Amino acid sequence: MDSSFPVLLSLQTATLALLLVTPLGLLLAWLQARRRVPLRSVVDALILLPLVLPPSVVGYFLIVLLGRRGLVGQWLDQVFDVRLVFSPAAAVIASALVALPLLVKTAQPAIEAVPLELEHVGSSLGLSAWQVFFRITVPMAWPGIAAAMVLAFARALGEFGATLMFAGNIPGRTNTMPLEIFSAYQRGDDRQALLYVVILTAISCLVVLAAARLSPRGGRR
Amino acid sequence: MTAAALEASFVVQVGTGEGRFQLQAELALRQGVLVLYGPSGAGKSLTLCALAGLTPLQSGSVSVGSDMFEDSVAGCRIEPQHRRLGYVPQHNALFPFCDVESNISFGLPRAERRPGNPVVKELMDELGVLELRRAQPASLSGGERQRVALARALAVQPQLLLLDEPFAFIDPRGRKELREVLRGILRSRGISAVLVTHSREEALAMADSVALYERGRTLRSGSPAEVLADED
Repeated sequence: MDSSFPVLLSLQTATLALLLVTPLGLLLAWLQARRRVPLRSVVDALILLPLVLPPSVVGYFLIVLLGRRGLVGQWLDQVFDVRLVFSPAAAVIASALVALPLLVKTAQPAIEAVPLELEHVGSSLGLSAWQVFFRITVPMAWPGIAAAMVLAFARALGEFGATLMFAGNIPGRTNTMPLEIFSAYQRGDDRQALLYVVILTAISCLVVLAAARLSPRGGRR
Repeated sequence: MTAAALEASFVVQVGTGEGRFQLQAELALRQGVLVLYGPSGAGKSLTLCALAGLTPLQSGSVSVGSDMFEDSVAGCRIEPQHRRLGYVPQHNALFPFCDVESNISFGLPRAERRPGNPVVKELMDELGVLELRRAQPASLSGGERQRVALARALAVQPQLLLLDEPFAFIDPRGRKELREVLRGILRSRGISAVLVTHSREEALAMADSVALYERGRTLRSGSPAEVLADED
């Protein structure tokens, strides 16, 4: 196996996970910030769950739900001939799920901080709820949303436990960098493990620095 | 006979428990400027939000011109974005992420939002902010901000303006100037307005009709001379 594969797979997985989790996370953050959600505290707890549960438990839940004999997985298999478990898509789903609470809980206060008056002005100017969100709320909350996306990407990049459970550790298929560090260390290949540790640390540092740079003082023009 | 500019009679309730606030409003305006006058916390700003559809009515109705915006008995409600009301809030009136010209053209269709739109230019000229078209909101004075917010509300050709303390953060000279500008614009465009203030002087200067507010209710309404005669 080419030693660049886990690097590329990790970056690809984290990027796709971010694309998957951003719309859902922003919708949840907006609902929590702006709407009277029924059973709000229960919804809040459910959102936070992947953050507080051990990743292996999150992975287990994913298998129960999306595994070949899972509640949804069985249906996907029979109707669409799609088997998620032990696939690169499973790694994306696992990463997206563990990144969700970070995205929601970082974006929510940023959305709450947008003055309601500005959104009201938008409505009075004829903007629909979607237009108000994309043309007023997002530009106003952009520093917080950007930080939320960067943190979600970093979390997805470093995901280990849920990925191991749900996507497995299949060389050349689902062995992302965190999994490959574990494998290399287990087989005594310290040099290989160190290589990925350095790469993962460097990417994480870059991501955190990018987050700092991305945060403009007064929103996006 | 032309329809009245505004007819509204409604109850609104906001908050829960200790913070619960109920507003009962009875408003009518044939044409011109209706001033909502009263102390802070009497429910004047909430009235504007209710008229704009930003706060749902508990019961009652709101009609502007010949359009019924909301009627709890008939079960009809027009969403805020379809009401064509020019709302100018007291605080946070301008979008801080775009310049004066973009603020004013914000509510126009995409094709009309390009810089140099003659309609926007004319409005900027009329309100005396043409020189400021590239300025950011943070660099504007209180009076300039209100002029820009007013121009933005007028750009979408509203059938009624809703102005929340529009002269609050302006020095006395600027206040007088802006009053005259606003009066002239309303007259020349034939637009009516509902204006919130707690200043008697302002109410007298602007009102064709006054509704007096106290503790969440409209106590009485009528001509400025009648309503404000006993008020300090």
